[in-house]
Amino acid sequence: MKRRDFLKNAALGSIILGINPSMMAQQNFPDLAVIHGDSPSKITREAVASLGGIKRFVSKGDVVMLKANIGWDRTPEQAACTNPEVVGTLVELCLEGGAKEVKVMDNPCNPARRTYARSGIASSAKKAGATVFYPNKYRLRKMMLNGEWIKEWEVYSDFIEADKIINIPIAKIHSLSKLTMGMKNWLGALGGNRNQLHQNINAAMVDLSAFFKPCLTVLDAYRLLIRNGPQGGRLSDVRIYKTVVAGTDYVAVDTMGATFFSIKSEELPFLQLASQNGDGEVHLEKLRIEKRKV
Amino acid sequence: MRSFELKKERSKKYRIIRALRILSQFFFFSLFFFLLLRTRFPGEDYIGDVEVFFHFDPLLALTTLLASRVLFLSFVFSAITILLTFFLGRVVCGWVCPLGSLQQFFSFFFKKTKLLNPKRSKGNHTALKYYVLAFILISAIFTLDLVGIFDPLSLLYRSFTTSILPVSSSILSNFIGIFYRIRLLSLGDNLAQFFEAVDINDTFFQGFFIGMIFIGIILLNLFRERFWCRYLCPLGAFLGLVSRWNLLKLKIDPEKCTKCNLCTIHCQTQAYPFPNEEWKSSECIYCFTCSSICPTNAIGFSLKATPEEINKVNLSRRKLIFTIILGAVAAPFFRISPSKKRASEKLIRPPGALSEEKFLQKCVKCSECMKVCPTNALQPALTEAGPEGIWTPIVVPKVGYCEYYCSLCSQVCPTGAIRELTVEEKTKVKIGTAWIDKNRCIPWNLGDPCIVCEEHCPVSPKAIKLVKTEVKLPDGALKTPLTPFIDIESCIGCGICENKCPVVDNPAIYVTSVGESRSEKNQLLLEIIQTGKELA
Repeated sequence: MKRRDFLKNAALGSIILGINPSMMAQQNFPDLAVIHGDSPSKITREAVASLGGIKRFVSKGDVVMLKANIGWDRTPEQAACTNPEVVGTLVELCLEGGAKEVKVMDNPCNPARRTYARSGIASSAKKAGATVFYPNKYRLRKMMLNGEWIKEWEVYSDFIEADKIINIPIAKIHSLSKLTMGMKNWLGALGGNRNQLHQNINAAMVDLSAFFKPCLTVLDAYRLLIRNGPQGGRLSDVRIYKTVVAGTDYVAVDTMGATFFSIKSEELPFLQLASQNGDGEVHLEKLRIEKRKV
Repeated sequence: MRSFELKKERSKKYRIIRALRILSQFFFFSLFFFLLLRTRFPGEDYIGDVEVFFHFDPLLALTTLLASRVLFLSFVFSAITILLTFFLGRVVCGWVCPLGSLQQFFSFFFKKTKLLNPKRSKGNHTALKYYVLAFILISAIFTLDLVGIFDPLSLLYRSFTTSILPVSSSILSNFIGIFYRIRLLSLGDNLAQFFEAVDINDTFFQGFFIGMIFIGIILLNLFRERFWCRYLCPLGAFLGLVSRWNLLKLKIDPEKCTKCNLCTIHCQTQAYPFPNEEWKSSECIYCFTCSSICPTNAIGFSLKATPEEINKVNLSRRKLIFTIILGAVAAPFFRISPSKKRASEKLIRPPGALSEEKFLQKCVKCSECMKVCPTNALQPALTEAGPEGIWTPIVVPKVGYCEYYCSLCSQVCPTGAIRELTVEEKTKVKIGTAWIDKNRCIPWNLGDPCIVCEEHCPVSPKAIKLVKTEVKLPDGALKTPLTPFIDIESCIGCGICENKCPVVDNPAIYVTSVGESRSEKNQLLLEIIQTGKELA
């Protein structure tokens, strides 16, 4: 049966039977939720709810791996790491959705003990009920990534063994890829001499995103790092934007995020590459976007 | 020993005291070790007084005072040690000193395993430590601070930080791999997380060297019990001098004594309990071994209200004069090297370090800073700082870098050789300057993109700027990649660029000491240019 036929039948059936099957409802979810508001936690909840609720992404008994950006020895105000409230809220949501365990881990650029503590993410995620742990080199596995450019690389097996992966990047300026959001966030799931990937960073981002394929991406744009990325420093490098973007299409999420910096997808080679590969949509006008304030 | 077995009636009281002494040693050694392990990033910017052990050390207090002519207030605690020793003798050596406890433990171990057979020692070799002390004090008067090499606390801390802990952690972490292999996954996970949490720096250039010296000192116990304490320890010698009028005296009951010599044979520090009039109070560390093993309960200790002068330390006047001369010429002798003439490029000191001359007068080579450093950047120097600067801390960016928002090394330094800084103050300290080796840099040489150094630069605005530059490739083609340039004025020399450079063997960007805030001479930019002030 073709999809269109199925939809027709389902629609017909629902009219006849007078019920609204859940399959139908799922098709009506927006592609992107862009939620604006004062509370990082509320807008995160609202964004996930707009997409159909956490149960759409997390099943009962799942082990969920959250990939926050805990890369730098910076405080939340400096906007170099994902907002701790956003991370904490997602942990809560996953547990509410029936997840057996929610894990939070990132391989940072500065020592993990410092970035975990000073970003505020370790404490907020732990408080929400997550297992927070440091990257463990014994869990690195050389994996066949089968990308266009990266054929194999060392990956933390926690990401491979998890039932679901949710990506929670922060939106920042970056001198090489121009922006670092969801697709760049995957470098933190790698071991090895990952700095060498910078020689072809756009291809690396595309390959890694296609490999990890998160079931949901929640882009934290509560604070945008607009200068001196990717770690900033001064508070003047930060712009308060009070927004999160959520979606299943990570290319669309990054495309939306780029607009906050007034950067078009044509200016970002990694989005162009991903679009050519059919990994996602860069034409926002083709998407159903739900924008709301809470 | 067998012939006395019939009338063996050891003192219960002194056996209890001895047990208490062992308990006390165990407690203080554990405390020392606990504070050592706690000397790591505490999860916040500021760390408590984990270096407090050093402040009870009067030898460190005195030599840093002599060498630097500056009184460091935290050393007031050493007055407690001095008072205690003045009234009760070298109880601190026997009951508190963690290195002493370790010596005693290994002496005991070697004795039990029959590797060491204690005998009545003859000769006056115990005087050696007084010459070591004299040499250290005299050379300190001439501003040469060598105490860190010999001070028992520095020695122990340094050995643990740079060799014992790295070795233990490497042995123990092998178990993680074993656990994974036999599918005890959660055990492996937990152990791995534990190791990350205790945060042991495991890479030290001189770990092997310092570890061999430490093992050597332990093995000396094969020849004599507490060899180090007996013959070498300058702190023991110092406390021995302080204790000369102490009140706690050994008395042998001549009625009970069978002259078996057991006490003197087993004396930990060659203090000659028997005969009574030969007992050297300044050598006795009050371990109460003699009184608890005496088969006839003949030995006792009592507080005497009237202090009596005890047998003097047998120092030969000639040797003492010779030592003093040696101490006096040591300073110029140690300073033949050219380090005074020109700053060494590799001599990158931790942030807050005093100017080199003052730093060397205060640094006691204890490795507190190397233990607390979150990136393992601080390493014991070998030749970089000249002979007197051996084992003083230097930043080696190839191993680790100076974390931007961290001032922990300055907080734990027990002598103020690294001035205590707030995190805010620390971010403004320049410890060196980065330079680019264009012959090795990926964009400069291959024309390929790479911004790793710029990305990691923690300064805002960045001290590494990216500029589009035309680069000629071997085939003559032109490329215009973003190439790194360094803003020498805002670079703080933290070395993260060198540490993270993808050209791994010999990074294409590297830090040298020039421009360091602490030095007046080792400068590149003139003050008038930096501040924009005109000459007139």
